[in-house]
Amino acid sequence: MGKIEWAMWANEQALASGLILLTGGIVGVAGQFRGWQFAAYGVAAGVFVCLLEYPRGKRSKGTSVARTGQYCFTVCVKAFGPLTRNYYVRAFLHAAICVPGGFMLATVLGCVCLGIASLIYLAAAIRGEHWEPILPRTETQRKPVPPSIKNPPSNPPPRPPPEMRRKRVDDLEGAAYDNPIPVTANEY
Amino acid sequence: MVVSVRSWVANEGGKHLVLMLWLGANTWLFVKTFLLYSTGQQYYYLYKMLGLGLCISRASASVLNLNCSLVLLPMCRSLLTFFRGTHTVSSRKTRRLLDKSKTFHVACGVAICIFSVVHVSAHLANVVNFSVSFSDDFPALNLARYRGEMFSLRLPCSLIGCFSSVPGVTGVLLVLILFLMFTSASNYEIFWYTHNLFIVFYIILMVHMVGGALKYQTNIMAHPPGCFRMNQSSSAEQGEELKQHEDGERRCREEAHFQPHYPQTWLWVSAPLCLYCAERFYRYIRSSDPVTIVTIIKHPCDVMELRMLKKNFQARPGQYILLNCPGVSSFENHPFTLTTCPTENKETFGIHLRVVGDWTERFTQLLLPQPKIDVEVLPVVQQRRYPKVYVDGPFGSPSEEVFNYDVSLCVAGGIGVTPFACVLHALLDGWTGFRLQRLYFVWVCRELQSFYWFAELLCALHHKLWQENRPDYFNLKLYISQEDRLQSMSEEKYGPLASRLQVGRPRWKLLLDEIGRANKQKRVGVFCCGPKGISRTLHRLCNSACSSGTTFEFNKESFS
Repeated sequence: MGKIEWAMWANEQALASGLILLTGGIVGVAGQFRGWQFAAYGVAAGVFVCLLEYPRGKRSKGTSVARTGQYCFTVCVKAFGPLTRNYYVRAFLHAAICVPGGFMLATVLGCVCLGIASLIYLAAAIRGEHWEPILPRTETQRKPVPPSIKNPPSNPPPRPPPEMRRKRVDDLEGAAYDNPIPVTANEY
Repeated sequence: MVVSVRSWVANEGGKHLVLMLWLGANTWLFVKTFLLYSTGQQYYYLYKMLGLGLCISRASASVLNLNCSLVLLPMCRSLLTFFRGTHTVSSRKTRRLLDKSKTFHVACGVAICIFSVVHVSAHLANVVNFSVSFSDDFPALNLARYRGEMFSLRLPCSLIGCFSSVPGVTGVLLVLILFLMFTSASNYEIFWYTHNLFIVFYIILMVHMVGGALKYQTNIMAHPPGCFRMNQSSSAEQGEELKQHEDGERRCREEAHFQPHYPQTWLWVSAPLCLYCAERFYRYIRSSDPVTIVTIIKHPCDVMELRMLKKNFQARPGQYILLNCPGVSSFENHPFTLTTCPTENKETFGIHLRVVGDWTERFTQLLLPQPKIDVEVLPVVQQRRYPKVYVDGPFGSPSEEVFNYDVSLCVAGGIGVTPFACVLHALLDGWTGFRLQRLYFVWVCRELQSFYWFAELLCALHHKLWQENRPDYFNLKLYISQEDRLQSMSEEKYGPLASRLQVGRPRWKLLLDEIGRANKQKRVGVFCCGPKGISRTLHRLCNSACSSGTTFEFNKESFS
């Protein structure tokens, strides 16, 4: 099927690779491996990638489900404008970030995973996708209320003239009249 | 809403028991393997070299073995359908556990992810420790080529070392495949394609331990670990041992011999893998016959009904099938619940499908004739060419249990009415043969037009039961959730529906109270197939206390 949204997949993979890079970096720093500076870089790079990739973009077709609490991240990412909107930029950014991770055993997995995510972003960019923020719906976008409900009724309901409506205690039988509109009790 | 203990146990007890058993099995395996490596005599020297990293990595490996074997079992759908149907699992409680097979699969998958992270981290620590605690006494035990190998050169020789061993390469590949497989189901096609990498995963998993780096000592009797060895390079520890064992009580009779483990994963994994592969093969053979499409009916609100015919196809009400249409996409299978099952009188079976995504759109375009606007339409009979369609299934679902309760409540939201439509058809054919004595049917839709999908079926069942003097058998309530205008069905023949139609969302608490009052001290099966909001509310209400002593057992049909 030609309608796969590659960017959605790339986003998931990039977020996962950020976490893998972060974990590998923590292990490298904690174990005081040789080259732990690369591990420290891995921690920082992992955090950066996670922050960048946490806000999900809007789907071009279908409903987009936002991640919990992503609104503030969306605002930050949106502030960078075309840098974050364009997926070519993201693809090359991830490719550049992942390279230093390849120099240490603890972060090499994160490097490879981020490289794969960068390739998928490249595929998304070639297909012309771009990142749209998911913003909460504003008041004006709500469906307009149909016009018939806006105004209160201008005419009273049809009733017989007041002479008939006055209570005639002496002639109760003759006082009865049929409602022109049928009335039923409320049923729940 | 107060959670009632009895209701909670009836609804959630079985699931939580299985969860506890699974967690217990994982914990026991982890602790057992941990203790084996930390206190076992054959690992004495290895443990001295590697420390905790050894125990954690091996313990997490055994948990991974268990979960990799368990994760396949819930996905053997034909086998589970067989268990459901033949009532080999005779208790209804146990059959209800089969509903949660996909949840169990996801739980095992999550455990695999978590323990993979633990396993890889522990092995990273092991690599460092192999280099730091390079053992001169037992050179066979070492993985590093010399002491401090990890710290000697700037270039990642540890990487080279890692990539030159089978466990290293297979380990990296396994993590990559796991990484690709665990994309969420946000995109169904990607999910399906990457999840089918599992076979590569399992093959690599089975050779992961070949040429293992961790060795155990084979001659414990001849060389008790920690024994006194003569002609050793002196160290303070040896000096102490000399004083303690001067009587020569524990002398080593020979050198320690070490041997790597041979792979054990295949013991765990091969049986479920063979079972699953056999199941896939069986499903492939069963679905290799294309079905004959008999009719296509267009319904309002983007719904199409498809009637088909297939040899030797048998199904029970509530089951679903997987449709595959190579003309749309060669590898995708989409699930649809059957709305009519084949009976003795009528061999066709049918589904209702709602046009929502790419696949359904393309599929309906292939099925329906294209309107020719420009050409003068002459009344010529055209040969309708339907695309080839393959059907895999039928597979069991929770809705099959509707007939096994005395009283059932079926709640449907929108197109979620399809499993219950099949149930209603079965009741129309013969309602006397089942254990079911009363059925409450609640159907909530957004628009009035949706009710026309099954309006005739509902009226026919209603009339039949009234004719046969069982008016209380079938209790129907229809709701339109869009409240902007008053609507009603105007047709004469749909009178029973019009009088049971209400505008506005149903109030579930009042509904359950009413059902509870009419069925005191009974067990009512609640079946829900609809949006998450409805099923969550109903689940909560079923777990809470009911004043009339009725127990509501919640069964959810997930439209997966």
